[in-house]
Amino acid sequence: MRRRSWAEPYKIKVVEHLRMTTRAERERAIAEAGYNTFLLKSEDVYIDLLTDSGTSAMSDRQWAGMMMGDEAYAGSANFYHLESAVREFYGYKHLIPTHQGRGAEHILSKSCIKPGDYVPGNMYFTTTRVHQELAGGQFVDVIIDEAHDPASEHPFKGNVDLEKLSALIERVGSSRIPYLALHATVNMAGGQPISMDNAREVAVLCRKHGIRIFMDATRAVENCYFIREREPGYAGRALAEILRELCSYTDGCTMSGKKDCLVNIGGFLAVNDDELAEAARNMVVIYEGLHTYGGLAGRDMEAMAIGIRESVSYDHMHARIGQVQYLGDQIAHEGVPIVRPIGGHGIFLDALEFLPHLPREQFPAQALAAALYVDSGVRAMERGAVSAGRDPLTGDNRYPRLELVRLTIPRRVYTQAHMDVTAESVIDLHRQRDSIVGMKFTHEPKSLRFFQARFAPIEGDAVMRH
Amino acid sequence: MKTIIEPFRIKSVEPIRMTTRERREAVLREAGFNLFLIRADDVIIDLLTDSGTGAMSSEQWAGILRGDESYAGASSFYRFQERLQEVTGFEHILPTHQGRASERILFELVGGAGKVIPNNAHFDTTRANIEHSGAVAVDLPIAEAADPAFLHPFKGNLDVAALERLIAEVGRDRIPLVMVTVTNNSGGGQPVSLGNLRAVRAICDRHRLPLFLDACRFAENAYFIKLREPGQSGRSVREIVREMFGLADGATISAKKDGLVNIGGLLLLRDMQLLYRASNLLILTEGFITYGGLAGRDLEAMAQGFEEVLHEDYLAYRLRSVEYVGEGLMKAGIPIVQPPGGHAIYIDAAALCPHIPREQFPGQAVVCGLYRIGGVRAVEIGSAMFGNRSPPGLELVRLAIPRRVYTQSHMDYVVEVCAALAAKRAELRGLRMVQEPPVLRHFTARFEEL
Repeated sequence: MRRRSWAEPYKIKVVEHLRMTTRAERERAIAEAGYNTFLLKSEDVYIDLLTDSGTSAMSDRQWAGMMMGDEAYAGSANFYHLESAVREFYGYKHLIPTHQGRGAEHILSKSCIKPGDYVPGNMYFTTTRVHQELAGGQFVDVIIDEAHDPASEHPFKGNVDLEKLSALIERVGSSRIPYLALHATVNMAGGQPISMDNAREVAVLCRKHGIRIFMDATRAVENCYFIREREPGYAGRALAEILRELCSYTDGCTMSGKKDCLVNIGGFLAVNDDELAEAARNMVVIYEGLHTYGGLAGRDMEAMAIGIRESVSYDHMHARIGQVQYLGDQIAHEGVPIVRPIGGHGIFLDALEFLPHLPREQFPAQALAAALYVDSGVRAMERGAVSAGRDPLTGDNRYPRLELVRLTIPRRVYTQAHMDVTAESVIDLHRQRDSIVGMKFTHEPKSLRFFQARFAPIEGDAVMRH
Repeated sequence: MKTIIEPFRIKSVEPIRMTTRERREAVLREAGFNLFLIRADDVIIDLLTDSGTGAMSSEQWAGILRGDESYAGASSFYRFQERLQEVTGFEHILPTHQGRASERILFELVGGAGKVIPNNAHFDTTRANIEHSGAVAVDLPIAEAADPAFLHPFKGNLDVAALERLIAEVGRDRIPLVMVTVTNNSGGGQPVSLGNLRAVRAICDRHRLPLFLDACRFAENAYFIKLREPGQSGRSVREIVREMFGLADGATISAKKDGLVNIGGLLLLRDMQLLYRASNLLILTEGFITYGGLAGRDLEAMAQGFEEVLHEDYLAYRLRSVEYVGEGLMKAGIPIVQPPGGHAIYIDAAALCPHIPREQFPGQAVVCGLYRIGGVRAVEIGSAMFGNRSPPGLELVRLAIPRRVYTQSHMDYVVEVCAALAAKRAELRGLRMVQEPPVLRHFTARFEEL
């Protein structure tokens, strides 16, 4: 018997029923949703790969922790458990819990960025950039060029380009750079990791100029798995040890616990600086909740504390990333263009390559996501021009070099058979790609438009020509 | 029958850790005499707040397990939306992670420098959010609210003549909305009458001003209306609640009170333009419109909680069990805000400790005393929380009763602790604030005993 190298290190304890739908029902549902997968009702979705955020299955231990929630308004025991887990595994001194990751981004941006500041980072993320812009800052992309090339096989495509960073420091001066936003892994580049070597060099450069580094640690453990697999000197090392080293090059992090930490809700800001922690605590009480609960139920802090411990298990991470690889290998094997190498949390279809007959103004990734849903009930997400929005100065559409459809894999939720169905549908669609129709806006929100935008096919009312 | 038994039995328990007087003394010092800064483990009976501290029902826990955690369009959201539409009559329901997020979004949109926002009495986070936006928060309680001993059935009412004067004085253009808090928390958990809400609505109509409710304890308020307001006794709480919300153009709700949940909030709006802007802000800071920064399971728990809170046998038990504590304190000769409120008993610390001047925080002294004597955690609502702006100038200590958590014997114990404190009131010492944070200082301030 062939050994399935990524077999799950758990068995199923509770199941959630799925509703099967017909193609006719899905055609109706996507039209009602304005051809935007965000606006579909989850009961009309068969396999939900919209996001890996908050969609994971918790373990029986986490559920036991849910029953141990101490819902006291102040000084909940669960806060102290979470604080000690963050200190132990991430190594930061101060923990400020928030209701989810964007709560932490909001507080970090408001505390650190002044109007006219520049915030360099290894590629933008949608909500993060909006928070930076609202605080008066301007995001500057300093990721290596390879990140923008879907075909490049660079092992650490998330790396910061030190020359780009130095050039920025020289151009605007370090006093206009409150911090560097370091993503590990880089979501918008296809879940691509940074190397330890790169993190170390970035830290040396930033410390020389007195610039702080805050990591988006949402998927940092996945990043550490790639370091272990790919970087010389890290083979066989414990993920927890690698994580502590990675964090040691930074001054703090924002965390959406809904990814690596295996919970459905929760996040935090963790920093080393006493003064920043004090400022953040004063702010969290206005926006989120008292600093010992940050807008979370006690039980959710407990589940996150336990999830952190589970997340650094090698067996867990091996199965997690193994499953993503399994899906990606099947799709790539049939010649479907995907972002290479395969990332940590999802498969990113290269929509420009997939649908060369659609011009960018027809939002090929949006069209592909809609067609995939109609074909099989698989819900994916557009990560291209629609997500990138418009330039705040010129008002023009931003066309990032990557126009992607993200198939994001929730943790511990779907089986190999679910992955097979997904692969079959993508491959089928690729064979009929010429009949996929482009999209146009019928409603375009001003901020974070991808969430609530509505579209219509360029011609007719179907996602595919018959 | 005199005794009102709980309309439920216990399904799951949480052990209470006992502490010694010496241990509590050390804890108190370590926390800078601020009970917000002590560990919940070191508390015997926790009456710090009724917010998020209630016990959920088995039906709510079933909902917790049923939660649909899909990022967008979760079935839990649609169940939640339908239930809240039915309870409030509002069509558009935005979920938020808790009440202060609803307030923040609302005041970021309508607040700002030069704006004035009247209320019967703003609560601490509401006031902080309004002031954070640059606007001014004005309290307009009726005159009777200033006298803790005065018996008035609707002591939470807004002073309508004062509202008219304020509008004439600052002009309607500077007032983006009029707010009414039901029940009035800072003023003693006192209810607002339907007659008063209708009168405020009429003024708002005359000046074309929107009326918003801070509706955290809407069900408790509605039950007081049923009990006390002429002509209302024959109506169901459900009907009264629909009428209260029907009078408003919007509402902020912390579901951690009458939603009977540990986490969650809502923002209700009728104005489509405001709704659109609020949705964008919600997505940026809370979460997508179909989850608002909550897990799907929390939406399920809210859907069930907003149903259970309207059961009149529950409300009868709730208000009666709070009143029971009030009666016990009065029998022990402790001055409290009269009549007992809906969710808490408020001790009149100024009357209890006339020897401690206001600038030495008599309320905080009582809070520390209760903890020392019996491990009971209460909260000061007076000059430490509100500075000089404490609503009608009261120095109160709130004993907030979590919903469905403590039994009658727990409450008997609390009364005994209070009585023991009252017997030694002359020994209570004032405090001085040695560390003062810039906003919402009471949460993290530190004190020293004089």
